[in-house]
Amino acid sequence: MSEKPSILVVDDEAAVLFTYRMILEQQGYAATAVETCKQAVNEVHRQNFDLLLCDLSLEEKRTGFEVFDAARARTPNVPCVLLTGYASKEAVDRADREGIAVLFKPIDIEEFLSTIATILKDHHHGKAN
Amino acid sequence: MATPEMRAHTPRLVEKVERRLIPERGRAAFRLLSAERSDEIFPILMEEIVALGFPRALVVTLDLESGEIRPVAGINCTPNYQQKFKTALWQGENQVVAVLRTLKPAIIPKPGAHGRSLYCHPLLYKNRTACWEAERGNRFCLAVQNFHKPGGLEIGAQVCRSCEMRAYAGAVIVEMPANSSERQRGDLGSVIDVANGYLSRLFKVDHYYNRMRDSDVTIAQMETLMQSMADPVILTDSQHRVIAQNRAAERFFKLPEKEVTEGAARAVELNNLLFSAALSSMAVSGSSDASRDLTLVDIIEGEEVLFEAVTAPSFGRDGMRSGLVTVMRDVTDLRRADQEFRTSIERLRDAQEVVRQDRDLMHMVIENVGDPIIVADGSARAVLLDSLAQELFGRVHETTNGPIRLDSVDPRIVSNQVKLDSYLQAFTFSFSARQDGTLRLYSTESKSEVDYDTRSGKIYDKRGQVSYTITVLRDLSAFRKLEQLKMERRLIEMEKFAATGRLAGTIAHEVNNPMEAIKNAIFLIQGVMKPEAQPIYEILKNETDRVARIVRQMLGLYRHSEQVSTIDVNSVVEDTLVLFARQLERSGIRLEKDLANVPPVVGSADQFRQVVSNLVINAKDSMVSPSEEVDSHAHGRAAMLKIRTRHLPAADGIHGWVRLTVADTGSGIPPEIIKTVFEPFVSTKGEKGTGLGLWIVKGIIENHSGKMRVRSKLGKGTVFKIDLPVVR
Repeated sequence: MSEKPSILVVDDEAAVLFTYRMILEQQGYAATAVETCKQAVNEVHRQNFDLLLCDLSLEEKRTGFEVFDAARARTPNVPCVLLTGYASKEAVDRADREGIAVLFKPIDIEEFLSTIATILKDHHHGKAN
Repeated sequence: MATPEMRAHTPRLVEKVERRLIPERGRAAFRLLSAERSDEIFPILMEEIVALGFPRALVVTLDLESGEIRPVAGINCTPNYQQKFKTALWQGENQVVAVLRTLKPAIIPKPGAHGRSLYCHPLLYKNRTACWEAERGNRFCLAVQNFHKPGGLEIGAQVCRSCEMRAYAGAVIVEMPANSSERQRGDLGSVIDVANGYLSRLFKVDHYYNRMRDSDVTIAQMETLMQSMADPVILTDSQHRVIAQNRAAERFFKLPEKEVTEGAARAVELNNLLFSAALSSMAVSGSSDASRDLTLVDIIEGEEVLFEAVTAPSFGRDGMRSGLVTVMRDVTDLRRADQEFRTSIERLRDAQEVVRQDRDLMHMVIENVGDPIIVADGSARAVLLDSLAQELFGRVHETTNGPIRLDSVDPRIVSNQVKLDSYLQAFTFSFSARQDGTLRLYSTESKSEVDYDTRSGKIYDKRGQVSYTITVLRDLSAFRKLEQLKMERRLIEMEKFAATGRLAGTIAHEVNNPMEAIKNAIFLIQGVMKPEAQPIYEILKNETDRVARIVRQMLGLYRHSEQVSTIDVNSVVEDTLVLFARQLERSGIRLEKDLANVPPVVGSADQFRQVVSNLVINAKDSMVSPSEEVDSHAHGRAAMLKIRTRHLPAADGIHGWVRLTVADTGSGIPPEIIKTVFEPFVSTKGEKGTGLGLWIVKGIIENHSGKMRVRSKLGKGTVFKIDLPVVR
């Protein structure tokens, strides 16, 4: 794999979003960081991402699931990770049904990075085969 | 009467052989007839035998008791000679014995060298006619039996079956002259037979004489016996005429010898009349033995005496009823004692009944203390009110026993009294033993009308009539209020907890994002730090991690949907385990689920989810070393998390518990902190733990009226048991 894996990261908190982007870039990923659901949907319409990281609660009661739905409309099997401070059972159930990983904030960075690496590797293998 | 002269002359009167024989026997018969006693017979016989021309003779008799044969009389015999004939019945070779056995006369040839032959003739008690005892009885007479067909001389056979008299037996032994003729021997036999006949008759007379003497003795004994009896004994004939009575009876039935008063005479007459009337009626009643109470007047004392007359029929020897024997027992004292005894028993029963009623009364009163109680009598009038009842119906005026007076000028209290009265009336005169109902009464305490639950019971006297009624009132409003308060308090507690949780959650949520940024930033500056700043960086990182953990824990308290509903514990467990399945798998922890069919419990599903997840996280942490590897080497066995649910039914079949057990094979809780493990900020995880998890779990469980226990062994593992009440 010559190209850097591309990751879309969405969070309505600018500081949080910034640190996520920095960490991802430091780890050698091509990170696209956006604050809103709208922007994120635009991004997924514009290009294919290898992975989507998305906060559950976004602006104006929008959720990360909207972003995932939009991305999967274009690339059905794109791996998604839901980042959330808390999750209702319904949200967890839905994530489970749709094959979306859930990470609870505050996120342990080691776990954060290992989850991303594992998902990307698995997905790449899946695609290659 | 018979004289030697007569003997001398008589033979010459008869010429012919036949004729001569008769006078010879006749003469002897006359002489024998003169014997008045049986013991005179043998001497006369001896003389007559000598008179017939025989030199000497003797008589031996058999002792029927010993079987010995002894000489008893003799003529021209020396005592020595007589003693030669002493023998016994069992000496069968003796020829005299042989004669006695055969009962046939015999001639014994010359016994000695110089002796002569002997004629031996048997003697045996016999008669042609039976005695009167045999006539009346079984018609067996030994004498007659011996006369017609002598049954041998067995000792046992010689006792009369009718009169029990013993026969006599013996033999006459006569020495024969050398020239004795056949006729001489014939005469001898005849004379001996005649003598035996007389002897038998005299023997019988002796027997009667003895019997009479015995009878006299018996009669005297009977008389003594009868007189010595203190109870009157009367013998009556078949017409109920008095034949004999003892002195005790004479006291009632016979006029005294002297000083006869008119009263005494009347008393005797009356007693006799009453007695014969009683006998007649007993005879009519038919039974052979009867008893009857009879009141007679004591002639001397003039007192009335109550007798129990017991009669038994008397029978004659012929088996016919000859009359009645009446024995009268003085039962005056006995009856009086009996009467007194009955009265005492009756009184005792009454006393027992009173005690029982009192006990029942007190029992019911004590049982129901704390509620207004009204005790009323069988006429529905209140007799006892406890202090609570007095508040409702007015103060009791201290009066004597009996119905009490309730006084009040308060119209509302008077209205209560009227309601109580009609309630008591209705219940007391109803047929039911118990009654439950309601009474709407004015309560002075709450200053309002209150519905009272009434419960009434009856206490019956021994005739089955109502002696008391007990009515207990229960202020349902107070009871309901308490229940409501309890419920509200619980809801408030839950709400408080939820509010606390919400607040904590909200704070945590607000802190969470800045936290996330700080944490990420710390991570990012990791590589660009001056080496001397490294310790500061470590502090920054560790303390931030700690805040992150606290935030994570507090977030668990925050839930949007705080709905209380019925929850299936099993599905909560399943839902929660889904979230942890991957983590547990990655940590190499085997999960064992054992979920039984359990009834639903009431509570918040989200809170239960938090309970389960906290316990699962604790279990996982206790089994995993800081290096994220299963700490299986430490205790040498597989890390395992066991989650089990069970239904523990209660005895009443309604309530019961759902038990959730979470067990791990982890490091365990040190004994020194096991008691404080449910308090806030107590942790076994050091820096890694917040010390809030179990405190929250315990809070949730207790809010749901549940119970929680922990058991742990260091290095072996920990078991949490949670019991949640089942509500139906």
